Amino acid sequence: MSKIVRPEDSVLRRFLLLELFAGLWVTLKHQFRPHVTQEYPRERPELRPRFRGVPRLRDHPGAEGPLCVACNQCALACPDHCITVVAEDRKGGKGKQPKSFHIDYERCCHCGLCVDACPTKPITAIYMSHDYEMAQYARDDFMTDLRGLYEGHVPREYKR
Amino acid sequence: MSETLLRFVVVPVAQIAVVIAALLLIVVYLVLLERKINAFMQVRLGPRRVGWHGLLQTVADVIKLFTKEDITPRHVDRLVFLLAPVVIILPALAAFAVIPFSGGSFRVGSVGVRAWISDVNVGLLYLLAITSLGVFGVVMAGWSSNSKYPMLGGLRSAAQMVSYEVPLGLSVVSILMLAGTASLVGIVQAQESAGRWFLFWTPYPQILGLFLYFVSGVAETNRLPFDLPEAENELVAGFHTEYSGMKFAFFFLAEYINMVLVGCLVAVLFFGGWLPVTFGIPGLREPLSNFFPFWGGAGAMLTGFFWFGLKVFLVLFLYLWMRATYPRYRYDQLMRLGWKVFIPLGLGHVMVTALAILVRRG
Amino acid sequence: MFGTTEMQINMGPQHPSTHGVLRLELKLDGERIVDTRPVIGYLHRGCEKLGEDRTYAQAIVYTDRMDYCAAFAENLVYAEAVERLLGVEVPPRAQYMRVVLAELQRIASHLIWLGTHAMDIGALTVFVYGMREREFILDLFESYCGARLTYNAVRVGGMPEEFPEGWVEEARRFCDVLPSRLDEYHQLLTANRIWLARTRGVGTIDGKTALDWGMTGPCLRGSGVAYDVRKAIPYEAYADLDFDVPIGEAGDTYDRYLCRMEEIRQSRRIVLQALDKLPGGEIRGKVPRRIKPPKGEVYHVNEGPRGELGVYLVSDGSEHAYRCRFRSPNFVNLQALPDMVRGHLVADVVAVIGTLDIVLGCVDR
Repeated sequence: MSKIVRPEDSVLRRFLLLELFAGLWVTLKHQFRPHVTQEYPRERPELRPRFRGVPRLRDHPGAEGPLCVACNQCALACPDHCITVVAEDRKGGKGKQPKSFHIDYERCCHCGLCVDACPTKPITAIYMSHDYEMAQYARDDFMTDLRGLYEGHVPREYKR
Repeated sequence: MSETLLRFVVVPVAQIAVVIAALLLIVVYLVLLERKINAFMQVRLGPRRVGWHGLLQTVADVIKLFTKEDITPRHVDRLVFLLAPVVIILPALAAFAVIPFSGGSFRVGSVGVRAWISDVNVGLLYLLAITSLGVFGVVMAGWSSNSKYPMLGGLRSAAQMVSYEVPLGLSVVSILMLAGTASLVGIVQAQESAGRWFLFWTPYPQILGLFLYFVSGVAETNRLPFDLPEAENELVAGFHTEYSGMKFAFFFLAEYINMVLVGCLVAVLFFGGWLPVTFGIPGLREPLSNFFPFWGGAGAMLTGFFWFGLKVFLVLFLYLWMRATYPRYRYDQLMRLGWKVFIPLGLGHVMVTALAILVRRG
Repeated sequence: MFGTTEMQINMGPQHPSTHGVLRLELKLDGERIVDTRPVIGYLHRGCEKLGEDRTYAQAIVYTDRMDYCAAFAENLVYAEAVERLLGVEVPPRAQYMRVVLAELQRIASHLIWLGTHAMDIGALTVFVYGMREREFILDLFESYCGARLTYNAVRVGGMPEEFPEGWVEEARRFCDVLPSRLDEYHQLLTANRIWLARTRGVGTIDGKTALDWGMTGPCLRGSGVAYDVRKAIPYEAYADLDFDVPIGEAGDTYDRYLCRMEEIRQSRRIVLQALDKLPGGEIRGKVPRRIKPPKGEVYHVNEGPRGELGVYLVSDGSEHAYRCRFRSPNFVNLQALPDMVRGHLVADVVAVIGTLDIVLGCVDR
């Protein structure tokens, strides 16, 4: 426990408005400092490796067929119930693969719990991508199917 | 006949047109300057999309405001509501009639053209009178909006503008005593013949006067840290909450024109108007007061514009700088500051100035 | 014959400085406030009910959305409550990681408070400077868990991931930069006469009244009551760390301001100590995949940036909580607002809202 420190008060400071000038000095110094903002969308932020964008699906060349085994664990883990998986028998092999896989991006809250639940470790079939521009014109467009989940979103280039 | 026409119609109309056009242009770029300076002080970049480094941003904003639907809310007092923007902008523009922008002169035919619209011998009184008219616009806007936030804003600004007229006037009184004339041209000429600006007048430099004038000017123009009538964090937008489109643009314009006016007056009253910055070195005066000697009077006028503009710019920069730095006073504190600090200080200042004049005369 | 009537004015829910969707019904006599009635509920999303409908692991995601300026603190208190229900021991490394992140979150949250509070009083620039420093912390969080605002960075029983490579150094770099930036804020505000005029003697509340209202956090400590959950009921690794709790005297806006500014410094101290002491080992305790706590109930508190955050959980032995209830410090602190602004001017309401540092997401839940 400690008492807070208060600034000293002095007659000189009171009459010469010293603290007001100190404030002006701080802003003047910043006038010549480089800016810290980004000109989005011309400049895009540098994302950290663990950045959690929208969840997407991926494959791995080592795996036969799709990496996803349609186990439905992600759908169960999802707090927003935004994942719907329909399974079918895996073509030319044991187990299952997704017949359809839908994620409703409108409801997704980017928590990453689906990735935690995914059993195809260490490369998970569902992963948090670096896509973050998700605006759409219609609500239906947020419903993303297998193709959309694999291809993802290609960001537009802006020149100015 | 034609000379009379030239002297009393053509030249004044041309001067007025030039002043108004220049003012509008200056205001457009003052807004941009404000945004840029604030942005740089806040380690941002400011507008950059329209034009090179955002140079056309304000132009785009103005076009937007002009083409916007002009909304008049149903519950307002229509006539007063429509009049308020006009009432606020007219005095702001009219005040520039007596500002001497530069010295020198050139001739058009037989008529000499000076860099001021008119040189009234009661110029200062005229200014004090006409700038205090602006408050009516604010009160009318606040009242006629028939809405609670604008009313609070209107009342605040009425009180504020009325109380800060007094210290403003008091700091002008000492200048009046020093110059011995109320003509603004006369004031600059007095500084020219004295060889030094009133700011550095001996034996009593008018630094306190400048401080009083500038702070009261900031309070008069409702800028931070005294922008209570439109304190957006308390009163949303103050007295112009209900205005939109062109009418809003008028309030905006008037505010910035008033800022320029305060800048011009500080330059004229304390910084010697169009006189060059010589740092007290006598040899510099001649070459610095005319960069273009081969053009004669017109060259002197252009040079005067430069010095005058530089001084005004510095004052305006201080305005924007303060805006980026300080928090805002509270309404009652502002009043207390005005009545209990600035008015006594102003009275004291006038007395000390009078004493100093006596001492000087011996 | 000529009487004056009080003017009733609605401040909010759409108002620039009510920090979200708070609505205040002000009764004004001129500009003086006769009475205030806060109206809340515009941001109610039923987080508590959702906590009863979702599993324990899923409900953490919803705690993010309550106090979105300090999501980590909410994550933490919920996870700790579930751990207490389960009787799980958290490995020491995870405890220290939690302390580091919680204190960084406190700094970030206080920076938001500083920025918005100063902006409400008119100092626009402090807001941007505060955001600039906060950006550092958001980058650190993004680098750790991938999200910048709603982290979901705690799991029941431990932490989801290790610190990535270079993270500790980055956090230290931030701690090195912070003091000089804090000095700039002090230069801009602390001694400034306008700031003093606007905050001294405004929204004064004495320690006893504050306690009666149930206020906690810096709002209580500004009134001179030395109560901090980190000291009173140490949780995680706080018992091993050395830090001071700043206490105010007057209980006005200025003292709360100084308290919070000092807390930022103390939080930095804690972060540096915790990074130094960071032990090795596991980061996740033994928690079954399906979390099914035994029947029982628990009330757990920790010290969030805004005060005492509490979670009350009742378990019926299933995967969902039977009852989930959050004690939001914002909600409790907000109650004192009418008391604090009575007799002041309209401008002071804004200052007092700023000093209470409310986040409407947490008030309405």
